[in-house]
Amino acid sequence: MEQFKIETIAPLTVAGTDLAFTNSSLWMLIALLSIAAFLFIGTARPQLVPGRMQAAVEYLYDFIRDMLRENVGRDGLRYAPLIFAVFVFVLACNLLGMVPFVHSFTPTSHIAVTFGLAMIVFTLVVIVGFARHGLHFFSLFLPEGTPIFVAPLVALIEFLSFLSRPFTLAIRLFANMTAGHVLMKVFGGFVVSLGAVNIGLGIIPLGVNVALTALELLIAVVQAYVFALLASIYLNDAVNLH
Amino acid sequence: MPQFDPASFASQLFWFGVFFTLLYFVVVRPTLPKVGKVIDAREAQVSGDLDRAEAAKGQADAIRTAYDDGMRQARDAAQAAVAAARDSAAKAAEVRLKALAAQLDADAEVAATRLDAARAAARANLEATVADLTTEAVAKLAGINVTPADVSAALAAR
Repeated sequence: MEQFKIETIAPLTVAGTDLAFTNSSLWMLIALLSIAAFLFIGTARPQLVPGRMQAAVEYLYDFIRDMLRENVGRDGLRYAPLIFAVFVFVLACNLLGMVPFVHSFTPTSHIAVTFGLAMIVFTLVVIVGFARHGLHFFSLFLPEGTPIFVAPLVALIEFLSFLSRPFTLAIRLFANMTAGHVLMKVFGGFVVSLGAVNIGLGIIPLGVNVALTALELLIAVVQAYVFALLASIYLNDAVNLH
Repeated sequence: MPQFDPASFASQLFWFGVFFTLLYFVVVRPTLPKVGKVIDAREAQVSGDLDRAEAAKGQADAIRTAYDDGMRQARDAAQAAVAAARDSAAKAAEVRLKALAAQLDADAEVAATRLDAARAAARANLEATVADLTTEAVAKLAGINVTPADVSAALAAR
């Protein structure tokens, strides 16, 4: 599990809490800088007929806006920048973790970071829900047409499922990234151990690892998409109450 | 697994908070709305252009209709003019034909009159000549002296 190890780069302790700048922080910073470069270059001189970089930014932004339009409706477009930020941050962390040879680290393979991301979505949903509907937001826990005698049970289940959302959101992303990286590491180990027996035998796990790399890249993109998609579906609850 | 070691949670969450805040407020908020504005402007421009094209098409259709109407009217007018010209030409021809026929009738009448006159003159001449010849023949054959006037009277009496 060496690839998931947190290594302190610059120690920092505030009020007895260890807030050291670690390799996780470094790769989040790299993700932030990559996104910043992408966005600042892409929107430096916005033109009606876009250049390459602007077209790329627009494509990504349109992707998020379409997703919100479909799942939330026109009211959801207000939250497009935040959902975009979440999506692009997850995407950047996932993809940068796949860069070979540079001791890359995947911050999204750690549950603390994915939980932070999930809490952003959860907090947004709660704030938007109460801001738009006030106490009526609680009607979210009682779907329309529920028979009165099962209502308490249904409300309890709905409430628990609502509370579990940040955890499922966090664990889904963390588990996907971790499992994929572990699998690659395992087959990487096979290359060495089987290659030591016979150089020809090492080719097989190497081929598997090539395929796994492609799969991991797919998962990196798909999980970022899933995260943003679920965020917009949860946002729909807050905006439209079912 | 290092993921479940709570010692690093505070640091991870802290730096995540810092970087995500920066990402949202310093990177995304100042840049993305610009692109959104451009996308909206483009949509507005495209739909405006489409509206204008629609309007231009409507205008073109109107012009086309007007052109067709003009053509039809011109054709009708031309046909009417041709028909009128044909009518008036026929009428004029008829009038001239009638005049010509009348002239011919008149000429024929004059000619017939003159013919009658000539015939009458010829008959008179013939009677005079017959009277003369008869007078001479009577004188030579019978030795009776009659005047041509007697012969004429005798002929007239028969």
